[in-house]
Amino acid sequence: MLEKVINHPLSKTLLLFSLIMLGFAFFAALLAPLLIPIIISFALYALLEPISGALERQGLSSTTTSLTVLIVLVAISVLVISLLLPHLSSQLAQLQQQLPSVWQTLIGFAQEMSQFVASSMKLDTETSNSITQPLFDQANETGKEILITGSNLIISFSILVILVPIFTFFLIRDYRGIRNYLLDSLPNNSFELGWIIYHRVTHQLQEYIRGIMIQSGIMSIITSLGFFIIGLESYILLGIITGILNLIPYIGPLLAMVLPVLLALAHTPLEPWLVGAAIGVIVIAQVIDNVIVIPSVIANAVNLHPVIVIIGIIIFGNFFGFVGMIIAIPAISTANIIFRGLLQGLLTRKTEFNRYETGQVTNQ
Amino acid sequence: MDNTKHPFWHNLFHRKADRIHEVTELWLSTPLFENISYSRCRELVRNMHPRNYKASEKVFNAGDIGESVVLIRHGKVEIRAGEKILAELTEGDFFGEIALVIDEPRTANAIASEESELIFFLRSDLEEWIQRSPKDGAQFMLNISRVLAARLKHTNLLLSLQTS
Repeated sequence: MLEKVINHPLSKTLLLFSLIMLGFAFFAALLAPLLIPIIISFALYALLEPISGALERQGLSSTTTSLTVLIVLVAISVLVISLLLPHLSSQLAQLQQQLPSVWQTLIGFAQEMSQFVASSMKLDTETSNSITQPLFDQANETGKEILITGSNLIISFSILVILVPIFTFFLIRDYRGIRNYLLDSLPNNSFELGWIIYHRVTHQLQEYIRGIMIQSGIMSIITSLGFFIIGLESYILLGIITGILNLIPYIGPLLAMVLPVLLALAHTPLEPWLVGAAIGVIVIAQVIDNVIVIPSVIANAVNLHPVIVIIGIIIFGNFFGFVGMIIAIPAISTANIIFRGLLQGLLTRKTEFNRYETGQVTNQ
Repeated sequence: MDNTKHPFWHNLFHRKADRIHEVTELWLSTPLFENISYSRCRELVRNMHPRNYKASEKVFNAGDIGESVVLIRHGKVEIRAGEKILAELTEGDFFGEIALVIDEPRTANAIASEESELIFFLRSDLEEWIQRSPKDGAQFMLNISRVLAARLKHTNLLLSLQTS
């Protein structure tokens, strides 16, 4: 009985799947500090692979191909950054200047609200302060942390600029070789199944990465345009941030509303229509995203239940922060394909093998 | 001194190239690569997967998910259904080509009857090649259709002989 359970394809699948996932988790934990540059490099590799493949087929060596692609990539990046950087840095400086006043406006608003609540509930000042003061202290701390995180982001960005091209170069040059070595190291009886699962996973991931990059770009352009029309300052930066946050399903669009709404609130004198317009831009962009962009660009790249998506985002966000929230969907989708592939491979092998061994089918 | 003529340097730099050349020639002599140029075939062979099998080792079982056509570079392979031997294949023969066309499990057992080196050509590599070189891809698909049609004709003949 126990032997039957152990030898059942489902038990074998669960065991193999757990081992593979443990391996992934181990490497993810080991490479946690480098996770962002690695993910960006893989995304760039997925985008550039068709170009490098075409160059290699023209007879160029892998090193020459990687260098050529990298030089083109750096040249395009330098061009884009030199065009956008002056504008972006001035907007970033403007935003940094505005953030303390945004925070003060919010604190002032919260204080007014607490006084209003205290007077309506007839609380004395001491009781009211004992409730609200810890909240204000916490809010002040969070505000400071956000500003410190902002400066840290600039440092992280500088590290990315150095690491991403290096990682991308080596991926373009060596990825195929390492992949072939690893997959060809599988035992003879699992080698084909390994390649089938690999191709399904990479096909789906490539579709997803290309899809979300296009989606993110479109969302950045639409929201930048929207913020510009309503007259919100730092519109390009806000648009880019919205585009990036849009990579997180369900939760991203809500997070994307925070900064534009705060900036609209900090506008002096306070113009309520601007707050509504900022929310309106995000909502309209979301409608365009859901009605036009997602069906035509991402389509069925991933087909996961919304509950699984939300739980996944929370768990991955808990372990790997903001990056975790972005990689949650492709990671769950990959795990799903690996599990299904293993189960399908082991199940069909057992069923068909029994049929042929019992002589039910005799032709090739 | 010209070091490239020394056997050590020759083995170091030319072994893989020789193997690719030899496998390309083997594939070109099969009906699957009829009317396809040497350079195109060689480009594919560079991405194929050589595997070594011991005598009596199973290459695949009936029911395994099939993903590739297999060429015998060295050795011998038996195609079996249960205990019945359907075919004995040797160097230069290929088998499992159905897997390139349909996504179905393998329909027979393949066992290496002696120590063998087999070259696997995966469906995913074929699909990528068809996208890159549609003209050659169409020629390959035409060739594979001819091979499968010939197999079908042969099976029909055997069946009609059995029934008569």
